[in-house]
Amino acid sequence: MGTLGDELSSAMAELEEEKVLDLVKERLAAGEDPLALVRSLQDGMTEVGARFESGDYFLNELVMSGEIMKEAMVEIEPLLHGAEQEYHGLVVIGTVKGDIHDLGKNIVVMLLKGAGYEVVDLGVDVPAEQFVEAVKEHNARLVGMCALLTASQASMKETIDKVRSTGLDTKIVIGGSYMNETIRENVGADYFGTTANDAVKLAEQVFASA
Amino acid sequence: MEDVAVGTPTEQLYQERLTRYVTAMDVGKPDKVPIRLNLGEVAATYAGFTLEEIYYDREKNTAAATKVLTELDLDVTPGAPSLWWASLHDAVGARYLRWAGRELDMNTQFQFVEGEYMLADEYDAFIADPTRWILETYLPRIHVDFAEPGSYRANLALVKGAWGLHSLLEGMGQDAARWATDYGMPSAFSGLGKAPFDTLGDTLRGMKGILLDLHRRPEKILAATDMLVPHNVYYALASAAGDTLLPDLMPLHRGSLPFLNPKQWDTYYWPSLKRVLEGLWAQGKRTIFYAEGNWTPYLDKIAELPDRSIVFHVDQTDIAEAKRILGGRFCLSGGVPNTLLAYGTPGDVADHCKRLIEEYAADGGFIVDSCSVMQTDVQVANVVALVEAVRAHGVY
Repeated sequence: MGTLGDELSSAMAELEEEKVLDLVKERLAAGEDPLALVRSLQDGMTEVGARFESGDYFLNELVMSGEIMKEAMVEIEPLLHGAEQEYHGLVVIGTVKGDIHDLGKNIVVMLLKGAGYEVVDLGVDVPAEQFVEAVKEHNARLVGMCALLTASQASMKETIDKVRSTGLDTKIVIGGSYMNETIRENVGADYFGTTANDAVKLAEQVFASA
Repeated sequence: MEDVAVGTPTEQLYQERLTRYVTAMDVGKPDKVPIRLNLGEVAATYAGFTLEEIYYDREKNTAAATKVLTELDLDVTPGAPSLWWASLHDAVGARYLRWAGRELDMNTQFQFVEGEYMLADEYDAFIADPTRWILETYLPRIHVDFAEPGSYRANLALVKGAWGLHSLLEGMGQDAARWATDYGMPSAFSGLGKAPFDTLGDTLRGMKGILLDLHRRPEKILAATDMLVPHNVYYALASAAGDTLLPDLMPLHRGSLPFLNPKQWDTYYWPSLKRVLEGLWAQGKRTIFYAEGNWTPYLDKIAELPDRSIVFHVDQTDIAEAKRILGGRFCLSGGVPNTLLAYGTPGDVADHCKRLIEEYAADGGFIVDSCSVMQTDVQVANVVALVEAVRAHGVY
């Protein structure tokens, strides 16, 4: 496992909830730049993702890291007022029509936000038209579609067809534990992901080629 | 378990199928490879019903199963496509379910709305008196009609709910009996089991709740799962009306990859589950270990169970590893991917089944099934192809 120089990043990577929150409060009180704190936390999240990839961390550690990030942002966000948050990119995400599951999607949202992406979360049971509207409005370069039910693949395909018909150059990733290459090909997505961290890796790839 | 008239052709068929099924579960080699298909909503497609119809109309739900089991050459039936009767849940105002024809389109799979229905600070009350806690705190929280315990509406909801559940269970028992007596078709299982960690993680704390509890209050998980062991043994036997000829069905959730790290799995998931499985086996009750997702890293631990005490169901688990580690001591089931059943051609399905049988069923101790419950993405023609291929290649 990697080690991190910054104490806050390291506490985040080790999932030390109290220590992270104490450090955030201390540093904010000392007048430290809130954006610098966000970057430290994001470094910690990146390390969490790396540990998940290497098999040292599992889903519960990812969820815990997202939860700590969320709590830390409650402290930091009010002070970000005026400061320009630098995002690595914008991702539109939602669970397709007919499927109301949001557990996996919410973990992906937490991780993407933690990694520094702006996320437009459309929620669950999202009609194709709403995906299309959001993609147009935000000129989104990456769209994530989630499904838990195997029966939701038809809805996924319909949604993807409609997004494609806008002619916009949008990459589409489908996510869910049962996704595979066959499903990706049949519904017409660009990528598939089976774990939450796949989404972060993919976002890095898509936005790096900007 | 079912009462089949002795000496009739139907009784002979029933005995043949049952013997085939039980022999495989005992890791023996029957006359043919048994077929146990976990037909969920695809049975509605097969029979020409909407999902709304099978959720709300029990006669259609039963009719769908009857059509499948009289037309396809199966060895056992999983029962009607929907285990759930939507009207029962509507009658008490269930907040945690969404139904086709009500909140969802008439052909959309019914769904469970997951949430933290048990709060983090309620562990102690739950552990001290689970039944009381469920009655006084949980039911009011998850049902509109129980919102005010002791009120006219809540009292009426108890009557409606109790009658509805009794009527449903009685109806399911009558269906099973009729499928046996009229068509010689045994049930695939009797009774439902659960891992204590899943009892907590599925419908009480929810996935996020329990994954955070692993970090914030792990000792409460241990205390709660410990308390649940005898309850879950009892529930599996009680919901089978004491039957031990057929296995109980235990759908397993949070123990699959990648929810828990190996140390957490060894500490929080496995010990209480193992005690439930051993407790059931001590009373002669075998369990279908319906391992949803991937359980490959845990096969060595699962192999610690008494011989033949489970049927290990293969979904995304590495089937070669399952055979290597569990084969010979435990029956395996599954092996036909749902993606193949959804997107493959009948020829692809037939080829896959032929290979599956050659590689994994040659020595017996194998039951063919889809990897996971079949929803409406599965093509009916592929289900037919599966059955035909297993009959063509699965004779010992």
